[in-house]
Order: sequence, then C-alpha cells, then structure tokens
Amino acid sequence: MIRLEVNDIRKNFGGLQVLNGVSFKVNGPERIGLIGPNGAGKTTLTNILDGAIKPTSGTVYLNGKRIDPLPSFKVAQAGFGRTFQVSRAFRRMTVLENLYVPALAMNPTAHQQDFRKRAMEVLEFLTMDHLRNEYAQALSGGQLKLLELGRLLMLDPAIMVLDEPFAGVHPTLIEIILQYINLVNEAGKAVIMISHDMDTIFSLSKRLLVLSSGDLIADGDPEMVKKDPAVIEAYLGQDEEDEPLDSLDG
Amino acid sequence: MKKRIPHIAGALAILFLVAFPLTYNGTDYDYIMHLWIMGLFYAILASSWSLLAGYAGQFSFGHMAFMAIGAYATGLFSNYVYLSSAATNICSEFKLGDTYLVFLEPIGVTIAKQSCLNIARSTWPPGVVVTQPSILWGILLGILLGGLFGLLIGALVLRLRSAYLALFTIGFSEILRAAINAEISITRGQAGLEVPPLFPDGITLLGVTYSASNKVPPYFVMLFLFLMCIAIMVWLERSRFGLFIRALREDEEAAAALAVNTVRYKILVFVTTSMMAAAAGAVQAHYIGIISPNILILLQMSIVIAMAVIGGLESIVAAAVGAVIISFSLEFLRTSFAVGPITIDMSTWRLVFFGLLLMLTLRFRRNGLIHPILLWFSRGDVKQETVAKRVADCGEAELAEVEKLL
Repeated sequence: MIRLEVNDIRKNFGGLQVLNGVSFKVNGPERIGLIGPNGAGKTTLTNILDGAIKPTSGTVYLNGKRIDPLPSFKVAQAGFGRTFQVSRAFRRMTVLENLYVPALAMNPTAHQQDFRKRAMEVLEFLTMDHLRNEYAQALSGGQLKLLELGRLLMLDPAIMVLDEPFAGVHPTLIEIILQYINLVNEAGKAVIMISHDMDTIFSLSKRLLVLSSGDLIADGDPEMVKKDPAVIEAYLGQDEEDEPLDSLDG
Repeated sequence: MKKRIPHIAGALAILFLVAFPLTYNGTDYDYIMHLWIMGLFYAILASSWSLLAGYAGQFSFGHMAFMAIGAYATGLFSNYVYLSSAATNICSEFKLGDTYLVFLEPIGVTIAKQSCLNIARSTWPPGVVVTQPSILWGILLGILLGGLFGLLIGALVLRLRSAYLALFTIGFSEILRAAINAEISITRGQAGLEVPPLFPDGITLLGVTYSASNKVPPYFVMLFLFLMCIAIMVWLERSRFGLFIRALREDEEAAAALAVNTVRYKILVFVTTSMMAAAAGAVQAHYIGIISPNILILLQMSIVIAMAVIGGLESIVAAAVGAVIISFSLEFLRTSFAVGPITIDMSTWRLVFFGLLLMLTLRFRRNGLIHPILLWFSRGDVKQETVAKRVADCGEAELAEVEKLL
C-alpha cells in the first residue's frame, strides 16, 4: 500500500517564500492532478519530493520512511519517480540506453541484456521500438516525453510525478500518454500529474491539489475544486461573490 | 561482418605493436622506438582523459597533474627510500622485521653534500647490505597517490561544472607545479630530479639481454600499460559504469532522479583516470630518466586535450589513435623547409599547424577525425534499421499513402 505523507513543507529561496507549509497525503494508487498558476510552487514541491532540493522545514515520508533528507537517487530507490517539465532525456545516448539507466541503477547486480526484453516491451507500448538504437537527440519533443515515461516504467516506482506530460505533444502521442497513465495507475501506482491543460487534468484526475503562491488552497474532488471560490480567484483573479465561471472546465 | 572490422583492426594493431620492435631494423631504430614509447604514453593520457571528459563530461585540466604525481612519487621514492640491514641512527628510518626502511634527507640542488646513508656506511662493519626497493614499488606508490588525489579532487569538484571545474583543476595543477618548484631541496625544482631506468641492471627477455638504456624493455612496459588501461576502460565503458557516467554527463539531476548514485560515479571516474595518468607518468619518468615541473605546464595539458579532441573525445580508442598519430606528426613536422628566401622553422611552426588542426576539428568535426570512422562501422546501419522497422510496421494502407506522397 503506497503512502506518501507531506507534512508542513516550507521552502524559502532568499527572501522569497515559495512554499508556505504544504501538507497532503497520498493513500494507495490514487490519480491526482496538481495544478496552480505559474510560480505557485508546483515544480519546487516536486523537486523537494524528489530530493533534488531540501525543504527549509517540514517532512516527507514515503511508505513510513522519511525521504526529505535523502539524496535524489535514494529517493528514487525508495520508490519515487518523476518526469521533468522540459524533457531531460540523455540526448547523446540511444533510446535503449536511456531505458537501461534506471533499470541497472535499481538492480546493482544485473546486466543490460537482462532488461532488453522489458525495454523492448516498453518501447513497443510507446510505439517507439523502431527508434531503439537512435540517439535520443534525434527524437521529436513528443517522443522525448514518451521516452521519459518509458524510463519511469523501467524505474518502476510506487509513486510518480509527471510534470507537464502533455505540453507540446501531438494528439496522437497524447493518446499514448493517457493509456500510459491508465496502465500504471491500474498496476497499483499512484500518479500525480502537473499540467496546465485543464481539460485533460480534470478528466483524468480523481483528486485535485491546487497550489497558489506557495499555499495549498484546495484538495479534493475535481468537481468540488472547480467550484471553489479560492481556486477561481487564484486562476482568474475574481472576487468570491462573482459567478463561478466554467473557464476551469477547460 | 561490418561491425567486426574495428575488432579485427584492433587485433592486427596489437599484433603490429608487439612485433614492431622485434622486426624493425632501420638505422633510426632508437628514434622510432622513442616515438612509439612517447606515442603510447600520450595515448594513455588522451584516452583516460577522454573517459573523464568525453564520457563523464568532467572537463578537468588537471590530468597532467595526476601524471606528475605518479612521476614524482616514483622519482622521490627512488631517490630517498633505501633498505638497510643495519640502523643508520642518523637518517629517518623504520624497522621492518630485520630490515630498516631508510629515508634520506633532502638532496638539494647540488649533490656535493654527503647523504646520511653514506656517512653511516663509513661507520658500518663489512657485511651490512643496503639495497633500493624495487622500482615497481615506486610505480605502485605513484598509482596509489594518483588515485588518492583523484579521490580528493573528485570529492572537491562534486558541485562544480564546466568553466568552474576547468578553473579549479587548472588551479590544482598550478599549485602542484608551484609546490614542486618551491620544495627545491627535495624535488630539485627546475634542475630536475633524476630517476633511475626501469631496469637499472638490464633485463633478459626470451634469451636476449637488453641493457638499462635499451628502448625495447620500456617499450614493452609502456605497451603493456597502454593495453591494460585500454582493456580496463573498454570494459568500464561497456559496463553500468560507462552507462552511468554518460548519463551524468548528459544530465546529472535527471540521472540522480533515475536512481543513479551520481556522486559515487563522478568520484570513481576521477579516481580511475587519475590512476591511469599517474601510472603513465611513473613509467615515463623512469624511461626519460629526469623529471622537472615543466611536465605540468599548461601546454602539455593542451596537447593531451588536442589529441583527444582530434581523435574523438567520446571514444577511448579514437582518442588513443589520435594521440599516437599526432605524437608522430609533431615529431615528423620538425623538419624545417624554405619558401624562397624564407626558412620556415618547423620546430616552432608545427605547434601553429597543430593548433589550426584543433580549431578546424572543433569547428567542422566535433566528433574528431577517428571517431566518425569507428561510428560508421558500429552505427552505420542504424538509420536503415530504423527506416526498415518503420516500413515493416506500416499497414498496407499507410504504405500506399506514403507512396502516393512520394
């Protein structure tokens, strides 16, 4: 049973308070959307969960183990995976090599050939098997996003944060990403999606977290969050008395 | 078959390198052998630097410093450490069983002063045996110290990247050069520290006795070291180590997010390549017979970088081949020539041509001149494979549409 506990996370960069005591829990294979205007602190929160940066205060527990003081690679080994807002594939490595990196890092005694079958299955699912020996730098932006998702399948984390998985991706590839999210979620993994694509995020998520200026201003059912005055104000800068707009419906 | 050609060429090259000193009988034998020894020396440095910079992305300018650590460690060891069956009581010494490990006092620039060991000798009764430890111990000490400094520098530069890493390692190299220059009484500074030959009493190989100054034994020692280093690096490159250091070159943060212990591999690559540079430095010091802080000047490092870049930074073998070719070329380009009344002094101008070649390579052939050839053999079919797989995956209808478009 996956259990992520984020307790009162605060983060300052100099005089700038980026996160002001964010707390939430993930129980089991949830499918969560994390939204918020630009500068809300979504990526900073992901970087803290991932271990790339340390919080000023607060704690993060994954399946009972405190992970916030750990370096990134140990957080990944503990079962946390992520993708990046701007694709960070290893461009001068082949597609297959990109997939072998997490697989070998998670299995200290294994060899590349032990994962060839699995890697080919992943690439077939992502419709990229013909590109297996190409350098990642030859891929399109959408294919790079798929490759990052493929690497997560090889890492096989218990919980994954997908940062803008649909940004700049062709509709046909979005279909594959949607299938991917369904697949990993049905396989018992928790998925947190960060996106500015409201249509997709509202339709995909069973729960929404809304960050605004470093505060978690809403946490709950997407339909309920959509009508939350604080959320509407954060997104549209409207007064609470104003008519809730359907703009958030996408 | 195409992919096997580089392997076959490699095997033939090794056979050639082994057979060359035994079959070549030109009048310039010693000169050519010297070029080969220096070529192999630079090949170790360039290929190990390519592992550090080309594979792991750590653009260190301190590689020659590790080479110098190896050279000076074995040089100082050969000059200062003796084994004696009796205590001198005036030198620094440690008892090891029945033997004393004796450390001489600084020799200074002029060797007029009698060493403490010689003074003690004059007081000893007959029968006291004084020997020098095997040169192999000095070389091993150099390799070990190279590794230790590699560990230290690797740990210190963990958070440094690109220009900052380059500046830090230049600083380290310059500090080492200044320290060697400053400790003139120990290192003899610019006067140079004499280092005994690899086989001071000569050696007999396959029934042939070679004198201490013969080029064949150091050639085979350097060749053995070169082949060892290449074998280790190729093995590392094909293992998870190679995969992970390339991942950290591409994106350290992303590699860490995929469970790669980037700190461990960054330090490991520094330690490994430093040990190889130190080993090359130690063997070369015994071959040349004298070392000075000039081995640390930036020009020397630039030559190694240029060799790796021209050969191909992202290939160990290409960097090694590039180093050998350029090492030979630099020597053959020494011949001056006249253009009308003007004599071109190639001993100076060769470096200008070399610099131009480097600039042209960086501008037009970033993969170097040798690496693309190796890539053609190993990856030349990838494009066709990709297209063929795509066509095979296409449905007939899709194919018909594509054909229409064509």
